[in-house]
Formats: sequence, structure tokens, C-alpha cells
Amino acid sequence: MDTMKSFLKEVLGGLAVDYADIRVEETEGSGVIYRGRSLDDVRRSFERGGCFRIFHRGNWGVATFNNIDENLKGLAKEVASEIELLPPRNETLVALGPFEDTVRIRPEDDPRRISLTEKRSLLRHYNDIILGNKGIATTVSVYQDSYKHVVFYSTDDRSLDQETVYTGFACRAVARDGNNIQDYSDSFGKTQGFDSLKHREPMCERIAKVAIDLLKAEPVPAGKYTVVIDPLLAGVFAHEAFGHLSEADHIADNERLKEMMKTGTRFGVDELTIVDDATMPNERGSYRYDDEGAASERTELVRHGILVGHLHNRQTAQQMNELPTGNSRAISYRFPPIVRMSNTFIESRSTRLHDMMDSLESGLYVVGSRGGMTELESFTFSSQYAYLVEHGRKTRMVRNVTLSGNVFETLKNIEAIGDDLTIFGGIGGCGKGGQAPLPVGLGAPHVKIRNVLIGGK
Amino acid sequence: MEQKILALANRRADAAEVFGEEADRTVVEFRGGKLHSQETRLTRGYGLRVIKDGKIGFCSSTDPDRINELTDAALDTSVLGKPAQFEFPEAEKGPEVKVFDNRVMLVSVRRMVNWGKNLIDIMHARVPDVKLDLTFTRTYREIKVKNSSGLDVGFERAEFDLWITGLLVDGGLVWIPDYVNLSNGHPLQFEPLADRLERQAKVAKQKAKLTSGTYPVIVMPTALPSMLVALKFGVNGKQREKGTSPLIGKEDEKILDENLTILDNPLHSFGLASSPFDGEGVARHRNVLFDKGVFKGFLFDLATAAACKCECTASARRGYSRPPVPGITNFEITSGKNDFEKLVQETKEGLLVYEFLGGGQSNIMAGDINLNVTSGFKIEGGEIVGRVKDVMVTGNLYKMLEKVEVGSAQQDLGNYFLPFVRFPALKVATKE
Repeated sequence: MDTMKSFLKEVLGGLAVDYADIRVEETEGSGVIYRGRSLDDVRRSFERGGCFRIFHRGNWGVATFNNIDENLKGLAKEVASEIELLPPRNETLVALGPFEDTVRIRPEDDPRRISLTEKRSLLRHYNDIILGNKGIATTVSVYQDSYKHVVFYSTDDRSLDQETVYTGFACRAVARDGNNIQDYSDSFGKTQGFDSLKHREPMCERIAKVAIDLLKAEPVPAGKYTVVIDPLLAGVFAHEAFGHLSEADHIADNERLKEMMKTGTRFGVDELTIVDDATMPNERGSYRYDDEGAASERTELVRHGILVGHLHNRQTAQQMNELPTGNSRAISYRFPPIVRMSNTFIESRSTRLHDMMDSLESGLYVVGSRGGMTELESFTFSSQYAYLVEHGRKTRMVRNVTLSGNVFETLKNIEAIGDDLTIFGGIGGCGKGGQAPLPVGLGAPHVKIRNVLIGGK
Repeated sequence: MEQKILALANRRADAAEVFGEEADRTVVEFRGGKLHSQETRLTRGYGLRVIKDGKIGFCSSTDPDRINELTDAALDTSVLGKPAQFEFPEAEKGPEVKVFDNRVMLVSVRRMVNWGKNLIDIMHARVPDVKLDLTFTRTYREIKVKNSSGLDVGFERAEFDLWITGLLVDGGLVWIPDYVNLSNGHPLQFEPLADRLERQAKVAKQKAKLTSGTYPVIVMPTALPSMLVALKFGVNGKQREKGTSPLIGKEDEKILDENLTILDNPLHSFGLASSPFDGEGVARHRNVLFDKGVFKGFLFDLATAAACKCECTASARRGYSRPPVPGITNFEITSGKNDFEKLVQETKEGLLVYEFLGGGQSNIMAGDINLNVTSGFKIEGGEIVGRVKDVMVTGNLYKMLEKVEVGSAQQDLGNYFLPFVRFPALKVATKE
């Protein structure tokens, strides 16, 4: 650590600039993929690389690199002289002050101590459970792990040495009946070791069952519905539709958006509280320090329906006269950090699912997520499947259920929030600014919303 | 370095292949009409694929100090690996393809900044309430493939483009997308680009309402890629191998409208995915995917071609950190005969789409799509009357493409070369 730290200090040392930081990462990872019965891919990787950022007179210069040697000093000088050419801007960064810390993973969480054969065997076991169900045509099962070691130094004399670990797996079951092909997938992943993946057989049984059930489901008739959405889909909504809007890099430069996302604005019903929390133990989006050396935090975005916070890095916090929230993250050394979420969720309230459904005369109970996208206020996300609901009872299973709309209207249309918050991880992640997949967690209790536009048949 | 890795691997594996990638990328970004950042990204990495006892192993690294471990790890994975049904190919001569113009490499960061500022000033004078996000990305890329059968090929490519997103905050947000491929070394032409952006921005200020129903829909080239995801999936040889493409067994059948001829074209001059060799060093050629609507075949790399007992189509796609998989290079739809203005004039009531929000593939295997329109306009009485909001286009892509009309000019979107496509009757869901 000390040798690397002094080297990094030297790289930035000779620069006459307002601020600079550098981080060097070493990553080791392995992956196994099954397609049907056959082992499709086994791979390992070692990465070493880094990224430095220079901030001077309001402008950024960034370089990413694989070669970690004396030439970096020249590259840093070159980038610093290029940003000298840019017209100065009246911007500064929040200074965080001198600090030093070391974060180590627990040895038992280190995936490098588990053999590839053991990783393969666990994945094969889960894959076989799915394939053992009649009606399943094929599967795609993926195991992934990564160990990452980052050394960070910034010119405000913060130096951090942080290890992180991710392990996870995902299974997709494809069911087929003639030309009718349906699929269903689920995943599990945490910032914990290999052992956290054990005993997940019920999840695999469920994956197979839903894929087979979907063969009999019809596409949902398109239209407007009152919906009860499950914790995963509600979590995707919290992340995609609201969380991205709270990322201050969208807001800070745009006066109209700043007005739209002003703290104190009412966004939804009194019951609605939305939080981003990187400090939760072991969740997929958890970490101790972000990629510009700020400590992670729990940040309330909406409290009792009122907007109370934004997610920040050092620059957006300064621009909006707020405090950094430790949300400056990069997927790897190949990218500079940008404002990202960590674990984003809607807090539990008191309505029980049973009561929520009882009060639903006609509508949909919507389950799971096939991903989604937002462009600020507009969102679209696809669910895994849904049930038509009549007089509080689930009737037919339906598929191709895609929800879309305007986030502000949708948040105001929330009728009830459940008491059963669940946080999800998995092996995928969030995409923004060309950086995907960034590990995030998301979750919610069940949520009931009226007047949602559903695309389907 | 590639030679060193290959020599080390050759000693212990039955066959080996090294893929080396080196890239030097410069990104200049403007956000909300202001210069935001510049980045330099230097990448150098190696992917080693080995065959040992008839099985495949793979490992990648960016760390030149660990090349001994690279061979160990690749051999380690081969113990569990998939059986190799193919051999690494011998060298062959690649086609001539224009992928490098030195003028691209001579464009300085300062010049990109000036171009961006000019464009922002021009647009500010024309439509002051549009804020522009601009991203200039210029990449020098060098690829080398060497294998134990004696193959030793490589190429250099200069990639340079500009993505533009105009944001109009007008009682709601309106996105105005555009794109310019600058890889041919010509300087940025401001006026035609500003004309296009201005036309969209002006009409976007008018609001229009569309009720749910079935309408003729014109999808502009910028919006087509999000729509065509399922088709790219369907022609991929990996899906043929897995049995998950709906096109299996349909070679030489008419699947799409006869107005649609679709190519995978790695030989397009200055296409961002053009190259003389694929990721396994096999000489590239054009692949016709649909000829006048008739499906002509899948795209294969060596492994999927062997598994499906088909010809390899030189379609191996990869970076250093991943083993190859089949993939499309430049996706090209041959232009048709239709004039945009004339088709608009002939439309009594319809929808014009410049951008879809992605993520609307509800069943990619079957081709079912539900796409949220993020930049869309209503056509009424032969005129574009205003933007629409909360609109989704839904249906099955393969069915949708059974009847279309195709525009007369292709737009260059870097690795897509597309005309506009008009669908006579698509199902549109709205909140009205």
C-alpha cells in the first residue's frame, strides 16, 4: 500500500492544479456459464489498470490506462496542459480534507480461495434442478465472482486502500410448447463470498415453474390499469423512475430541472419515503468509500412524500450548495466516477398485501422485472408476468406486461404502500453514461398504483 | 507481447490463440450547452484461448507482469471447458476496406472543443431554449490475432463520431437526438446538422394529442436500432445453436416485406464496426441476412459454425476480455424508393418517431416489443403538427416487418446504415 500510495502521490505531485485524484485497481474474476446441459463457458481474468482525474479552473481532464509506470507522470502533465487550453469556468469542488483508511474483506469471503470445480458444481446443481422440470427446453445459468483491490489518492490528501468482493448467479429457464417459447429468470448476488450462494434451490424451482406457467399465459390487453406491483418491480421503479432523477449530475446544470427537483416539492403521498443507502451490510450496492474518496451514506431522497435530498458527487454538491453523499461511482478503472445510486428502496409502511388486493376491484398484480429504462421523467419497464385481478382475486396469468409513463404523475397515483420491504441484488446492475453493469441493490414493499399505462396486446 | 504469450501457451497447450487489443480514445463532452470534460482512455489487453485435450480454455489480462499466470489460468479453465469442435484457422488474405484515415488522428482536443462551441452557438441563435449535450469520441484501435496454426493478422482503425442530444424543457422534457459519423476524416458540417435539429425543435414546441388506435408510423433511422434488437438476436448463430431463434429452419423462406434487404456489412467504408478480419482472424465479407424479405442465413463464428455444421461467416465479435461470440458488424438496410416529404403529405393521421426508449423487449425470442416513444410527433392532414407524449408502440417485430415501405436515403449511424421505415398500421397505446 505504502509503495503504491507514494507512487500515486508522485504521479500527481508535480501538477499545479486545483484538484486531482488517481486510483489503481487490481481485479480477479471468474465466470461459468451453462446453456442447457452443456457447460458453455468457463473463464478467468486478471485486470490491472487505473484512472486519474485533474480538475483545474472549472474543467476536468481524465485519463484511464493499463500501463502503471513512470510514463504516467508525463501523461498527467500532458492532460493538465490540455485543460489549461480550455476556457475557465466558475466551478469548484467540495474539499473533503485529509483522511486515510484501509478496508479488507473477510478472508472467508474471498472467491479466489474456491476452486473453479466447486463453483462449476454449485451452478450445475442449480441448472439441473431447472432442467429436471418437464416443459423446460433449455436454460442459461451464469456464475460470476470478482475480487477488487483499489488504492486511491487525492490531492486533498485522502488515501484509501479498499477491497471489495461480489459473488452471484443467475438462471434463466426457457419453456417451449411448439412455437410458443417463454422464459423466466431470477438472480442472486451480494457483496459476500461463495457460501452466500448456497441453499438457493427454492429459487431455481420457482424459475422453472413460472417459465412453464407462462406457456399458458396470454398477452395482457393494452390499456390503463390499477396495479399492485411486487417488491422487485416496485424497487425497479424506485431505482429507474425516481432514483435516476435524484442523481444531481442531471440537475445541477439545468435551471428548469433544478426547479422541478427542488427540495420541499411534494412528489407523492404522505406514506412515500425513498432512500438510497450504501451502508447496508452485504447488499449488492453497498460499499465503504466511493470512487472519489467520500464515505458512503444513507440518504433520504423523499420523506413523507416531500423531496428532501439528491445524490451527489463533490462537484454537484458544490454546484447545488449541498453536501456530498458518497455516490460518485465508476464500474471500473476504465471510467471516471459519475453520480450513481447504491441500494435504493421505498420504505415499508403498514398496508398488508392481503388488504391491498382486497381493495382492488379490477386491475393487475404485476411481478418481477425484465429491466427498464428512463429518460428523466419518462420511464418504461417490462415486468416478468402479471395476473388479472377481479374483486380482489388473482384470475388469469398474463405476459408481455410493460409499464410506462411519467414518474411525477405515477408517484402521485400511489394508493398504498405495503409492510414487506425486500432488497434485491443479483448479478446485473445499472447502466448510465455508458457504464454498465454497476452493482446496485434495489427494493420496496408491495405498492398499489392507479392509472398506469400498460403496453401489451 | 502477443508473440510471447503465444510461445508460452504453445509449450503447454495443444493449440492456442492470442487476441491483442490496444486502443487510445479521446472523449470530449459538452453537457447542457457547456463544455463538461475531456477524457483519454488508453487500453491494452490480451485474451488467450487454448485447446488442451480437446477442450477450450480462456483467460484475459491487462497485466503484462502476469503472462505466466495467464497461461496457467487458461489451462485451468480448459479442464472444465467445452469440447473444441473446430481448429484455429490458417492465414488468408483479407479484403480491402477503408477503416483508417489519418486526418481523424490529427483532430486536436482544441478543435473538437471549437466544433462543439460553434454548433452550440449556431443552435442558440436559432432555438435558444434547446440545451445541447454533445459527445465527440475518437478512437485509434489496433487489433492483432495470432494462433498456433500460423495465422498472424491485424489492422488499425480510426473511429470518430459525434452524438447530439438536444433537450427542450417545455412543460415537460423533449429529446432531440442526432448523430454524425466523422470517421472519413472530413470536418464537421454545421449547417445541415443545425437544420435537422432546428426542424425537430420547432415542431416539438407544438403539442399534439393522439388517441389509442392503429396508425401509420414512420420510424426514423435514429429510432430503428432500439426496434431491431429482436431481429439482431434472431439472426445470431448462437441462438441457432441454442435453439432459441424463431428463424430456425426458415432459410430461404420469405419472412419480411420484399422491400427489405438487410445486410451485415463489415466492408462499409468507415463503418465503426468495419474490418478486414473478424475476432478470430478470418477474412471478412458481406453477409446478406434478408434478400428482398427472404431469410438467407445466420451469422457464425468458428465455434457456432462447427456446432451447427454450417459455414463460418467471419462474424466473431470480441474484445480482449471475452472469448468470441457471433455478432453483427454494421447493420445495413438497403434504401428504397420513398420520399419522406411525400409520405408525410399522404398521411391523414399518423405517428413519426425519432427516438424510442430502449428496454421495451418483452420477449426478445419471439420478437414481441413494447416501445415507449421519447421523441415522437403527430402527423395530421399531411403535416407534422406537434410532439406527442406518453405513447407506446406495441406488437410483434416480425409481423410488423411483413409490410413496410423504405426511405430513399440511408443515414450513417456509425455501425447502422439505415433509411427511415414506414409501417402502414401499427398498434399505438396512449394515455389519451
